[in-house]
Amino acid sequence: MKLKITASYLEAAARQRIGYIADKGSFRELATAAEKHVSPHLEMFNIPVSFGDGVIIGEAEINGKPVSILAQEGKFMGGAIGEVHSARIIGLLRRSLKTRPKAVICLWDSGGVRLQEANAGEIGVTEIMGAVFDLRAAGIPVIAAVGGSCGCFGGAGIITGCCDYIIASEEARIGVSGPEVIETTMGVDAFDSRDRGLVWRTTGGKNRFLFSFVNELVENSPEAFRQAIAGALDLKMGITLEKLQAKQQELIDRMELFGKMSNAFDIWKAMGFDSPETIPQMTATELQSTLKSGVNT
Amino acid sequence: MKFDTLLNELFPNGFQIEKEGSIVSGSAICGNQRLALIGTVDHTLIGIDEIIRLSRIFLKIIKEQPGIPILMLVDNNGQRMALREELLGLPEYIGHLAAVQDYARRNGHKVISLIYGNAVAGGFIAFGMGAQTRIYAVDGASPYVMNLPAISRVTKLPLEKLENLSRTIPVFAPGCNNFYKMGGLTDIWHGNLAACLETALKEYSSIDSRAELGRQRGGRREAINTINAIINA
Repeated sequence: MKLKITASYLEAAARQRIGYIADKGSFRELATAAEKHVSPHLEMFNIPVSFGDGVIIGEAEINGKPVSILAQEGKFMGGAIGEVHSARIIGLLRRSLKTRPKAVICLWDSGGVRLQEANAGEIGVTEIMGAVFDLRAAGIPVIAAVGGSCGCFGGAGIITGCCDYIIASEEARIGVSGPEVIETTMGVDAFDSRDRGLVWRTTGGKNRFLFSFVNELVENSPEAFRQAIAGALDLKMGITLEKLQAKQQELIDRMELFGKMSNAFDIWKAMGFDSPETIPQMTATELQSTLKSGVNT
Repeated sequence: MKFDTLLNELFPNGFQIEKEGSIVSGSAICGNQRLALIGTVDHTLIGIDEIIRLSRIFLKIIKEQPGIPILMLVDNNGQRMALREELLGLPEYIGHLAAVQDYARRNGHKVISLIYGNAVAGGFIAFGMGAQTRIYAVDGASPYVMNLPAISRVTKLPLEKLENLSRTIPVFAPGCNNFYKMGGLTDIWHGNLAACLETALKEYSSIDSRAELGRQRGGRREAINTINAIINA
């Protein structure tokens, strides 16, 4: 019997992820080593810099369709967002307003603002948000994929919340305040960050998917991410007042229905799952088919 | 600055406000223009309840008073750090509030924010910097991401080193002047606030020029060059 070797999206580096998602040989990186684009601020902290400041940007094709694509490198400073890092992302997003690709694909993997450049990072986050909204208003979808080891926290989590369509694996954790931050600030009773199950149930891809914040839950495999992204390229997206009003109502309903519950298991039970404790063990496919078979209706 | 003092100084020609918890809405006259007000008080934390109230007010203004300038009066101590917020999806709630603010700006409302108290981290992003192109602070206000002792704890960098660097470098330390140098504040208001606001309404632009401002003011020398190099690559 042959062992099937499956690659992990979670463990892949940024450049590998782009290689998995883009059509073979189609990726053209923008601003390569000739323009170093390193952080001008890290040296004073004696922190080594990295070409491209932790984010790879460029243009590619997916199933023959032109896209802009970026990938944060979680292994460099936790994908943290500083001045040059954010500027590179903003540059790609604003460029895409001119080049008008089929979509902009963002492979996020970041703990948020880089504290050594906190002010630059914070402003950069909101400049990215503005550029995302510019694209959405221009009818160019911004598709987020989350499945790296840093997840998306702080400003990166908020940026993800501004995208048109979110694809995530169960391993993807998306939030604003990380569990450690909540525990440090509010005490271990507020959030025990060492309780891995609690952390995953709360911020992980499944909970985000069951609330429809994540649009598509995929397995932790490059091919699953590629297929989901390719499938999302033709979806109709964009922002209208009606959609914002509907979202407002959805978020109010969520608070009214689940706002007093302090555990994802209780919420999933209230959503209609008879055995919510089985959800963490399900694969993405199993969870999706459970939903389709009507358990959750 | 105290909220009541702020209102009296900004609007000598009158204003009316309603409070719901720490969320304030209302209207006021500036020069010969009417504007809508949305604000927060008491250094509130920005959690999902606050966000839903704020976005509801924005949506109501967009529907009932199309095109009216909107002034956001900002005072918060950051996002609410709680299991409940994270469980229900705070990034989605903040993303929604950001989208609503963006929609207003894109549909003829001048959206201006004025920090009169604190503006902290995710709270600053959610309510404050969402105005994108026109963000002001009253002299003495406190915008920041994290205070230096906390940055020191998280980054393991010695506090003394951070304090020394922060005397000359605006990139990480709290405060209006630092955010101004980074291009994150359009201006810092001193003196006659009513006149400052009137000027701000006249000079309003919906173009995000913060990276360029950061270069001109010396706080972000690389951002705009990097952005432009990529746009033109």
